[in-house]
Amino acid sequence: MAMLKNLSKYVPEMFRPHLPVLDDLKQKGPKKALQHLADDVVTRVTAGLSIADVRGVLRDDPAPRPNPRLTPHAEGFWLHMKPTYYHNLVDGLYPTFRLGWLATFFFAWEIVTGIYLMIFYTPSPLVAYENMLGILSNVPFGRLMRDTHKLGGELMIITVVLHMLRTFITGSYKRPRQFTWATGGLLLITTLFVSFFGYLLPWDQLSLWAVTIGASTAEATPLIGKQMDLLVRGGPEIGANGLLRAYLLHVIVIPLVMVITFGVHYYKVIIHGHSLPPGHEPIGEDSARKVPMDRRTYFMPKILTRELAYVFALVAILVLASAFNWGYHAPLEPHADPLVTPLHTTSPWYFLWIQGMMKMGDKLLFGVFIPFMVILPTIVVWPYMEVGPSRLYGHRRIGLSIAATSLIGAAVLSYMGTPWFAVTSSPDQEAVASLLPQTSPGPLRLAPWDEILYGTYEASRWQQAPSTTLQGLLRTFDREMEHVRADQRYLSPEGFMIIEDWQIDLKKVTLRVTWTDGDTGEPGEYFQTQYLHRHSDYGQGE
Amino acid sequence: MKWHILIGFLTAGAAVVLLGIIALNEPVRMESFSRSYHSRQIEEGARIFENNCRPCHGPQGEGSPLAPALNTSSLFNGERLTAVQFNGTLEDYVKGVVSSGRPVPSEGANYPQRMPTWSQEFGGPMRPDQIESVVAFVLNWEERALAAAEPTPVTGEPMMGTDIQIELPPGDAERGRALADGTLGCTVCHSLTPVGPAWAASGDQPGLTERAALRVEQADYAGEAGTPEQYLIESVADPNAYLVPGFTANVMPVNFADRITLQQMADLMAYMLSFR
Repeated sequence: MAMLKNLSKYVPEMFRPHLPVLDDLKQKGPKKALQHLADDVVTRVTAGLSIADVRGVLRDDPAPRPNPRLTPHAEGFWLHMKPTYYHNLVDGLYPTFRLGWLATFFFAWEIVTGIYLMIFYTPSPLVAYENMLGILSNVPFGRLMRDTHKLGGELMIITVVLHMLRTFITGSYKRPRQFTWATGGLLLITTLFVSFFGYLLPWDQLSLWAVTIGASTAEATPLIGKQMDLLVRGGPEIGANGLLRAYLLHVIVIPLVMVITFGVHYYKVIIHGHSLPPGHEPIGEDSARKVPMDRRTYFMPKILTRELAYVFALVAILVLASAFNWGYHAPLEPHADPLVTPLHTTSPWYFLWIQGMMKMGDKLLFGVFIPFMVILPTIVVWPYMEVGPSRLYGHRRIGLSIAATSLIGAAVLSYMGTPWFAVTSSPDQEAVASLLPQTSPGPLRLAPWDEILYGTYEASRWQQAPSTTLQGLLRTFDREMEHVRADQRYLSPEGFMIIEDWQIDLKKVTLRVTWTDGDTGEPGEYFQTQYLHRHSDYGQGE
Repeated sequence: MKWHILIGFLTAGAAVVLLGIIALNEPVRMESFSRSYHSRQIEEGARIFENNCRPCHGPQGEGSPLAPALNTSSLFNGERLTAVQFNGTLEDYVKGVVSSGRPVPSEGANYPQRMPTWSQEFGGPMRPDQIESVVAFVLNWEERALAAAEPTPVTGEPMMGTDIQIELPPGDAERGRALADGTLGCTVCHSLTPVGPAWAASGDQPGLTERAALRVEQADYAGEAGTPEQYLIESVADPNAYLVPGFTANVMPVNFADRITLQQMADLMAYMLSFR
């Protein structure tokens, strides 16, 4: 202090710095001055709330008068788009179920985890898969980030669909909110596609074939099918170009569209106010913006603290879901191989309904025309077609029935999209796949290594196997062999499991189905070999 | 305090604790994943080896007349590296040879074919990760290869030679089978099914003895054998004397005449004649 005073004697007035905090220090002493400084900083950062005000908000104290909690809405950037108060009819779990908020949370989560993953990822078939291994074996929190990125993405799709259903059921898409709904429809489509293109990035068998199946619908586009197909895949088959395109769509193009669309969507939500539950306003009127003083729930403190609590709770849940080996883990299958199509491969689950429809017939009609030119556009423009003024459930029986039917239809079509519907495969291959599936580790790879004992075993004599693990495996095999036995084309079929010592810590397991052809009398055989290492340890999160 | 404020604090604490637990566990988890991935490379390498390398190097890498042994101590104790004057690691050596093949054989070796290139980089069929899997599998032989004693039998017994009319001593089919499956590595090539050599009768093909008898009667037969036995000896000792249509010259090594003893030929003959 003394030095500063002395210094000022020698420095001409115009060069002396004027820092208010120094005046404070002089007048009030260091403790008071620092408190003042901290308060000042907090007020600037929160755009209007002092430390005491922030504490009051977090403690849920009643608002002082005049209310400083309105200032951040008026002056701050982030809160200017948040309303200062809500109608207390939309404050409960019903009618919003917080689904729009939840979708926004997941979007933010995807951005955070996505950026973390981008640091360790190069979109090239030469290294993409190796990057995945690196993320799992050499990046702290790598597995957590990858798993919760995948989990968050899938939950986001579910949330967005539920959000749309809720909006439909409560009739909230009706006048004046038609455009809000339309932007929401676009957000649904972009959510599906951003997830779809992200599917390809690990460059494993699962991603390559799921996306190959999806991209093959592009080929059915009328007139420009071939061009569309080339554009999406980046070549006759998905390779370096296709991967780069999927990456750019996943991390830049679609997210950018989503951010803009979301901005419009949320702006419209706030401009019109959250629609009240149907039945709380006269038919044809919209009273969401006319909130009487006694029905207001202020953003601060209640909604803010609650949303903060949601954020922490969701982060804790997502982290817990993937923290340990028993939790959710994003699959990672063997390296992508365009020459080997795994048995039972499907498109991602949220596009199974399209795959299901395509099994009904023409690829152009069911793969492109109906889903992309009828169903999705209909969703987007629905409020402009259905213009009945009443939002009451009782007045909307047809609309609600259509929604219920569509839901059931989507479920049925998704089932039809799975390999268990209308896919002809040979029962001998299915029997082997019951122990050695090609799209997941399956029972044999997950079985305890030490209990897979050397020898040749017959499936039908599973009871005589020397360990309970082997008995269980052979029993599964034998059950699937029932389908082979039931098939007239297979005479006297037998299932064998041959386990040999192959290398140190390595066993060779051959699953073999033999039969006599019912038509030709020729002997038939199908076998598959899997080598099992003592430490391969499938199912620890990959 | 309102419930949501309580929950907010509790879950924030829980998230921090969980992240802490994960952070503490990360080194162990990453280590474990690396180990399990290496193990899966060995599994995948075994599959690739079975489909691509086995025809020449044998099912257990024991080598054959077509290609050297890999499951052998000389690969792992540095002898092979010294012999080819390779200064890098064994892993690099194996990876290099698998990737780019062998333009010339090692000195003193007389294999009928060169090691082909396997890496896509050099025009082969395999991706880099597949090459690494095969290398992981081959290197996994180390422990057993070093443990196995390698006696080199040196005998003064008479060698077979190329005279197909020579009289053979009495042979033993069991010893012949051991030779075919093991030391000589015949079944590395002479097998079409996962079990047993292709000499047995299958489908409309009769057994080897029958086949040999038919062969010497054939109009286009150009060899010198007069009996089925002589034909079989000729096929081993002078394989280019007559080529069965569909096969090319020199694929069957031509040096067996100098490599096997008369007694071994007799044992092999006894074994081959057992396929009727």
